[in-house]
Amino acid sequence: MGGPNRDVRMSLQTLRVLEAFLENPTEQLSGADVQKRSGLASGTLYPILLRLESAGWFVSRWESIDPSSAGRPRRRLYRLTPTGLARASEVFASFGRGVPA
Amino acid sequence: MNSLDIRAALPAAAVSDEALWWVEAFVRRLIQHAARNAPPSLSQRLEEEWLADLAARRGQMSRLRLAIGCCWATRVITREHVAANVPATASATGNEIMTASAHYDSSFVPRRTTAVVLIVCLHGVLIYSLATGLVHKMAAVIPPLMQVGVTEDVPAHHPPPPPLQPNLAPTRLEVPEPSFTVDAPSDADTLRGAPLEQPQPPPPSPPKALNRVPGGPGKGFPNTDDYYPAASRRLGEKGIASVRVCVDASGRLTADPMITQSSGSTRLDEGALTLAKAGSGHYRATTEDGRPVNACYPFRIRFEFRD
Repeated sequence: MGGPNRDVRMSLQTLRVLEAFLENPTEQLSGADVQKRSGLASGTLYPILLRLESAGWFVSRWESIDPSSAGRPRRRLYRLTPTGLARASEVFASFGRGVPA
Repeated sequence: MNSLDIRAALPAAAVSDEALWWVEAFVRRLIQHAARNAPPSLSQRLEEEWLADLAARRGQMSRLRLAIGCCWATRVITREHVAANVPATASATGNEIMTASAHYDSSFVPRRTTAVVLIVCLHGVLIYSLATGLVHKMAAVIPPLMQVGVTEDVPAHHPPPPPLQPNLAPTRLEVPEPSFTVDAPSDADTLRGAPLEQPQPPPPSPPKALNRVPGGPGKGFPNTDDYYPAASRRLGEKGIASVRVCVDASGRLTADPMITQSSGSTRLDEGALTLAKAGSGHYRATTEDGRPVNACYPFRIRFEFRD
């Protein structure tokens, strides 16, 4: 049922998540980073990240570090896909806001 | 050993560290619990991801909020059945890219419907209450708020003394003429006769009546309302207390005021004393013939509700 690139229902919270990524579309962000930028609560943020990932707007991977030498656990990093970037740009353009710089 | 003994026995720092440790353990357990309640294919990934994000958080409250948020996220994720379509790709090497198809459901509809139903029910209860007069019954049970008003009862002011009319009539003092006789000595060497009578001093004049005007609370004296004890207001206490104050010529207290007649309430008496002390410097001094003098006098303070 459904597949990548499926339309995502836009909510204000989803737009804030996308806006956090569009500050630098090539940047990879962890959930904590997105939370700092968007100000969303974790209960709202993680379902949106999974939803956008399921829709093919994001891809995610584990951080490439050695947790024992880094002294912290590895983080899950999210990144906009080209499709996600194009769709997010369309969404912001349709709202008349343009893509955040 | 009671709690006070425990506090005394343990250093505060140790207690604080232990509390922080318990909070930290609780937060981690909460996140693990939330992740394990997620769909099995996502459980391991979410636990690791959320614990990593937890490590990036600073502050116990922030970490606790994250943990509670994760519990909520688990509910939403489970409801959306993302796990049915999203393969978990957590691996030790950690470089795989996860892509998946999305499954959308109408998860917000039931919540929204529930909220609407709740609101409708609350309105129904409210309308029913209004229709059956329940609100009126409750209003009758609840005692009305006590209307409190305080009137300042400053003792009746004495009319200002009439201007003194200078008594210009000369006062004649009746001084008895000293009468004595001197018998001239027949011989200059001998004196004869009774010793000379000393002249009698004039009798003391009767004390002159003073025009004395007792003092009282004067201009700028504090308002009784400000010193009405709050407890007395709530209890509906009212009364009149007589207070004796000693005031100097400048209107300042020279001694602590005293209750000479109780109002019947210790609280009101204390309020009256506090008011009397606060009024120091704002008393009208007692005057004698128009001159302010040091004097003590009583006055009454009335604590009363205004209609």
